[in-house]
Amino acid sequence: MHEHELGLTALFNDHLAGAGNALTSIVGLPAQDRPWANWAVMEILVALVIMALFAILRSRISMDKPGGLQHIFEIIYEFLHGQTEEIVGHHGQKFLHVFATLFLFILFANLIGIIPAFESPTMFPQVPLGLALVAFLYYNAQGFVAQGPVTYLKHFVGPVAALAPLMIPIEIISHLARPMSLTVRLFANMFAGEQVTLVFLKLVPLAIPVVFMGLHVFVSFLQAYIFTLLTMVYVAGAVAHEEH
Amino acid sequence: MNPKTFLIVVALFLLASPMMAQDHSGGWANPIAAGIGMAIASGLCALGQGKAVASSAEALARNPGAQASIRFALILGLALIESLALYTLVIIFLKV
Repeated sequence: MHEHELGLTALFNDHLAGAGNALTSIVGLPAQDRPWANWAVMEILVALVIMALFAILRSRISMDKPGGLQHIFEIIYEFLHGQTEEIVGHHGQKFLHVFATLFLFILFANLIGIIPAFESPTMFPQVPLGLALVAFLYYNAQGFVAQGPVTYLKHFVGPVAALAPLMIPIEIISHLARPMSLTVRLFANMFAGEQVTLVFLKLVPLAIPVVFMGLHVFVSFLQAYIFTLLTMVYVAGAVAHEEH
Repeated sequence: MNPKTFLIVVALFLLASPMMAQDHSGGWANPIAAGIGMAIASGLCALGQGKAVASSAEALARNPGAQASIRFALILGLALIESLALYTLVIIFLKV
């Protein structure tokens, strides 16, 4: 469906094909003619954009005369800090860097698709899958670290030990459903947003698709927030110490 | 049927047009089933979201001080219900 190569991807494939094949050969994939896929190049671009933005921000940080960029990032930080406080609790601040990274990466990845020459990497199922796996491994790892492996795994048994044969499959399935739902939610929202805009471009080439692009921008923000929020909820559930 | 429904049906068919190029190994009924399935999923999702929004609006009217928690619950609930309708859309894109 999306075989058309972007300009930037063509640039990567023309000049960096060797590097691309070297990377894919690490996992054992055969060498290809044009190894760089659109989504991989777009992901790298999003990461570079975020790093450049933070570099600019860092050079302009000032206590006395904060500029516009600093204000925006202070708002973002306050928001994420407040949400972490509310959901994970005060000792959850040590997870804030991961939540903020997820939030900013997904946000920028979603929004970069609005610009004509680029595509959202989150529009391809691999990218939300990778992000969901990161979130899944992260909350499980934090659960192991915070509670010890045995106590954490005992949560799967459920409240009464006699119900264990029933509870364990249910718990495992519900835990596996989490990265699946995170993946599908993000992917489907981004993919459907672009498709809806394309459909209305076919119907009415002028003015009306802008409404759907606006909706897509709103959905981009919302989905980035929801992904981060759910990761926070899962981490909170994993590290919560039960009070008896 | 009224003009709005007709336009939506036309939009759905146009949405399926890139897929017309694929071979119809699944049969002629696939696009129809996709349309009906998606319509049912969206309708039920809308009912669920309507209930969520209605009760959160009522809660906000009763207790404006709890804005933050009500808003949090509302957004979380809406996104989770929305994702159920989106699962149907994903199946359609995979199988049709």
